[in-house]
Amino acid sequence: MRRLILLAALATVSTTAFAQLPGLRRRDPVPPAIGPQQAMPIMGIDALRADFVARSGSDMVYFGGDAAVLTPQAQAILQAQANWLRQHPEVIVRIEGYADLSDTRDHALAVGAKRAEEVRSYLMLLGIPAAQMTTVSWGKEKIAVLGSAPAALALNRRAVTVIVR
Amino acid sequence: MIARQSLLLALTLAVFAAPTGAQQPAAVVAIPPLTTPNESDRGANGPAAIAWQASQLIASDLRSTAELVPVGPNQKDYYSYPEVTAPTFSKWRAQGAKYVVTGFVRSNPDGRFAVGCYVYDVTKGSELGRIGFAVRPDEWRRAAHKCSGLVYTAATGAPAGLFDTRIAYVAESGPPGARVKRIAVMDSDGTDHNFVTVGDSIVLTPRLSPKAGHLAYVSYVGGQPHIRVVDFDSNQQRPLVPTSAMTFAPRYAPDGSRIVFSMQQGPNTDVYLVDANGGTPQRLTTAPGVDTSPGFSPDAGQIVFESDRAGSQQLYVMSADGSGQRRISFGGGWYADPVWSPDGQWIAFTRRIPGVGTRVGVMKPDGTGEQLLSTGPGDEGPDWAPSSREIIFQRAGPDGRPALYRVAITGGEPRRVNTPQDGSEPDWSGVID
Repeated sequence: MRRLILLAALATVSTTAFAQLPGLRRRDPVPPAIGPQQAMPIMGIDALRADFVARSGSDMVYFGGDAAVLTPQAQAILQAQANWLRQHPEVIVRIEGYADLSDTRDHALAVGAKRAEEVRSYLMLLGIPAAQMTTVSWGKEKIAVLGSAPAALALNRRAVTVIVR
Repeated sequence: MIARQSLLLALTLAVFAAPTGAQQPAAVVAIPPLTTPNESDRGANGPAAIAWQASQLIASDLRSTAELVPVGPNQKDYYSYPEVTAPTFSKWRAQGAKYVVTGFVRSNPDGRFAVGCYVYDVTKGSELGRIGFAVRPDEWRRAAHKCSGLVYTAATGAPAGLFDTRIAYVAESGPPGARVKRIAVMDSDGTDHNFVTVGDSIVLTPRLSPKAGHLAYVSYVGGQPHIRVVDFDSNQQRPLVPTSAMTFAPRYAPDGSRIVFSMQQGPNTDVYLVDANGGTPQRLTTAPGVDTSPGFSPDAGQIVFESDRAGSQQLYVMSADGSGQRRISFGGGWYADPVWSPDGQWIAFTRRIPGVGTRVGVMKPDGTGEQLLSTGPGDEGPDWAPSSREIIFQRAGPDGRPALYRVAITGGEPRRVNTPQDGSEPDWSGVID
């Protein structure tokens, strides 16, 4: 149900997908509403990234607690990411896994790796070739949202699909 | 960076094994200024000047432990060269001192300084130990630190001094979210501060070899986090293991010959052991989940590590070959970052208490006797002072910026360790030869 609503929203106005993720900010300008087929040959990497985010709903998914388990919301976003990646087989992505500041240094590295691997495995399940993806863990480095409040911690437990070329 | 080994030539003073002194808390140690044998030594950078600075450094070293009360040096307490081995005990007794330190600095014909240092029990009027070195003029601090170590072990009964040692840590600068991190190494009193990396990539978990001649750390250079090893003699560095897998959480064996670490493969992270010079790693754990933060017992027979195999991070101990894995932490919450004390008596750890934060503490290797030594909420990553009587750790301030603190395992208020920039992930070496 939630997934249907999400996809319907994407089909109309891509920016509404961000409303469900408090604290998130778009890093790239809102792309013009153009189809991938006509845009691909002239797209630079920034435009590709913007198109990926717009059509997938988000380039990132969130995790609960110490877990590396994909929620239904995360799966919906990854399915949309997979759809886009299937249409762009020339693109290579790096999946970056992160832990939150309440974790300890070494464990955070391992948990970030697990999250990145979980996303990679799920995208492979959806037909994305392994060669199209790499993973890296940032542990509790590169914190996205500062603070020790539960909401801030939750926004750091994430995996980000980054287009590298 | 200069090499740290073999800088000191031990003189032929008979070095006594210091008998264990009475463990009286906060004993007063009189530190009259070290003397010089010749009037001709009184140049600006001559033995007399060095003797005065060395005396000050010994007092400052002993004060930093908060276990002893050093008094001096005071100009009025100068004594003659022959009095080095014949201190006026009645004078120091009258001043309430339990111990007195005497010594000298003199010029050698080869341009070195001879530094001698003696510690006496004032009450009994007996010598507790002596130590002497021939040092280059720019190395006098190390000789003074060695004197401090002699006094400290004699007066407290601690198994080792903690002054001629190095501390590695991560120096942090820049705005939140875009922190520049560099590995830094300094003497444990904050001098001789050097940066080991330049800040062009994120670095984590510096770990000095026991004698501080080498350093292992995690670097993101090249994209994938991996352990690199620095040799301070040659100033060369290289990856520990040639692999594309993520390697992290290195720690040296007590003799410096091997490194125990974690390697991630897929969703699984296990503990491995490899020669410090490289080679094929030996896998020690196979349980599903995250096995990390391994570290040796001081006899190298056992390894403590953390694992979330039972659902949450807990501490485990195993034999150094990986056999006999058993859980030792049962106090509720999560336990991480275990480090075995140099005297073998304790394991320091970070405890994660959900909704409260992180604190550092110690427990016996069998899991009993747990004590939390800090109040949090952002204290983590403990390491031992070589004395086994204090731990150093990272504390996040109210603004999230980290700093280094040290606290005695007998309790008390943690004390700040000053660093030029924000500091995290401290690692304290053993005593340098």
